[in-house]
Amino acid sequence: MSDLAQVAGVERAAHVAPQGGEAEGGAPGLAKAKILLVDDEPKSLFALQQLLATLEQNLMIAQSGEEALRLALKNDFAVILLDVRMPGIDGFETARLIRARDRSKSTPIIFLTAAADEMTSMFRGYEVGAVDYLMKPVVPEVLKSKVAVFVELFRKSERLRESEDKLRRLAAHLISVREEERAHIAREIHDELGQVLTGLKMEVSWLAKRLKDKPLIEKTDSMCAMIDSTVQTVRKIATGLRPEMLDDMGLVAAVGWQAKEFQKRTGIRCRAKLPAETKFDIDVSTTMFRIFQEILTNVARHSRATRVDIELTLGAEQIGLEVSDNGVGIQDNELHARKSLGLLGMQERALLFGGDVRISGSPGHGTRVSVTIPLSRKPK
Amino acid sequence: MRILIADDHPIVRHGLKQVLAADPSSVVVGEATNGDEALEMARKLEWDMAIFDFSMPGRSGLDLLGDIKKEFPGRPVLILSMHSEDVHGSRVLRAGGAGYITKESAPQELTTAVRKVANGGKYVSSSLAEILASECSSDPQKALHEKLSDREYRVMWLLATGKQISEIAKEMGLSPSTVSTYRTRILRKLGLSSNAALVHYAVRHQLVG
Repeated sequence: MSDLAQVAGVERAAHVAPQGGEAEGGAPGLAKAKILLVDDEPKSLFALQQLLATLEQNLMIAQSGEEALRLALKNDFAVILLDVRMPGIDGFETARLIRARDRSKSTPIIFLTAAADEMTSMFRGYEVGAVDYLMKPVVPEVLKSKVAVFVELFRKSERLRESEDKLRRLAAHLISVREEERAHIAREIHDELGQVLTGLKMEVSWLAKRLKDKPLIEKTDSMCAMIDSTVQTVRKIATGLRPEMLDDMGLVAAVGWQAKEFQKRTGIRCRAKLPAETKFDIDVSTTMFRIFQEILTNVARHSRATRVDIELTLGAEQIGLEVSDNGVGIQDNELHARKSLGLLGMQERALLFGGDVRISGSPGHGTRVSVTIPLSRKPK
Repeated sequence: MRILIADDHPIVRHGLKQVLAADPSSVVVGEATNGDEALEMARKLEWDMAIFDFSMPGRSGLDLLGDIKKEFPGRPVLILSMHSEDVHGSRVLRAGGAGYITKESAPQELTTAVRKVANGGKYVSSSLAEILASECSSDPQKALHEKLSDREYRVMWLLATGKQISEIAKEMGLSPSTVSTYRTRILRKLGLSSNAALVHYAVRHQLVG
């Protein structure tokens, strides 16, 4: 057992109680890893089971290649121990078929072979995806530690997948929380603050009309001007948080408006080809709109472009957005360096709705971003 | 002139009545606090003109305007809004609205608008008129700045926002003398003689914001 602890990793071994080695396999909260044992001889199967029982994992057995395939269809195995010589489908063929399936294409397979089978069959085994070979009769300690390595590997990739999934869900949650919060603040500012300012302006105007004294009239005039500029500011803040266009008129109108705003704000000419104005799912619209804004931000920051062409297409099943500029063109290394959190953010946003963002560029020929988002799918 | 008003904010309704009271010939006959109530009042009361907020709880905006125009096609509806004119202005007019006024300009413009609309006209503020003009300045008489190349347009914009030749050169990755050449060409194409005139042109055509 102590050698197993070593294999399982120093970190973990440090926590193992001196007298009880059981901790390795059954760490709390972890489901047991599945291990598939395939051999046509019940005696050998029994021996393998006995040997590996101390790992405390979920051992499944198959007495033929066919049976092994059936099990591999429904389960994800940490490792498969496969006898080479079996009647019917032999070990090599079984391995080939298992590896041909998407689900099990990287499942580790250890071949068990009689020493007499020699080198040629070993090479064949590696060709069909074996990761290791064990000669029969098997040395118990060697078998156990090899299997334990794969169990640990399986666990680690499982944990990685889980944490990836968690991060993605967290990101999705943050995106939607931020969007809600922005919408809420925008509405509060615009409606409450804006309306009160409007009322205030009307009151001051009422007062102004009743005044005869010139200095007083000048005062109320300047008050009115101040209120006006405050209303403008309120409007700018609210629109910056979330353009009311998006909710009132839908994505098509909002994209058109944003393109005009962009041209006004940057002097980069925008040409937008838009479909007829319609409204559809607001979450998909918001996602597409935010991605569009991010693309424009990147154009303004990095491209040195003087022109942006935008095309929004509305199909029965998906919406598509193409934005291309005539700037310096994004470089492959910039794309792959993944330094830009903005690019990553666009991809994550699209992914949330089963969509896709593609970015391509060549030096001197501008950058092109294509986004597609299916209309039918709601986020997970 | 019997007027129906609708706005979900009491302070705005109060202000509206105050502004309208300046004209003794008009009287507010109904005050709705949301779109559905506005529609209900429109059916029950006798009225000649309506003044509606663009965004209210329930039915509002273009939907409400459409409903009212369908049932009372002849009667003018003025739309008041917190939103600036470039957002909804031309849509409201196209949907049959008699006018579009931003709320902060109501004290100055509302009485003029009411008078104008009462006589069957449409009220278009000067800033909305600019927007409409630029919207329909399509091909036949292309605006001069549309004739600039993309690069000239950007140089024009940078000049109009007060950037120096050297700054523009750096920003666009060009040499200062190239930028100067662009400047000369832009001024010629726009028929202008100085940077100041260029700024004025850009502001008038709402090319900068």
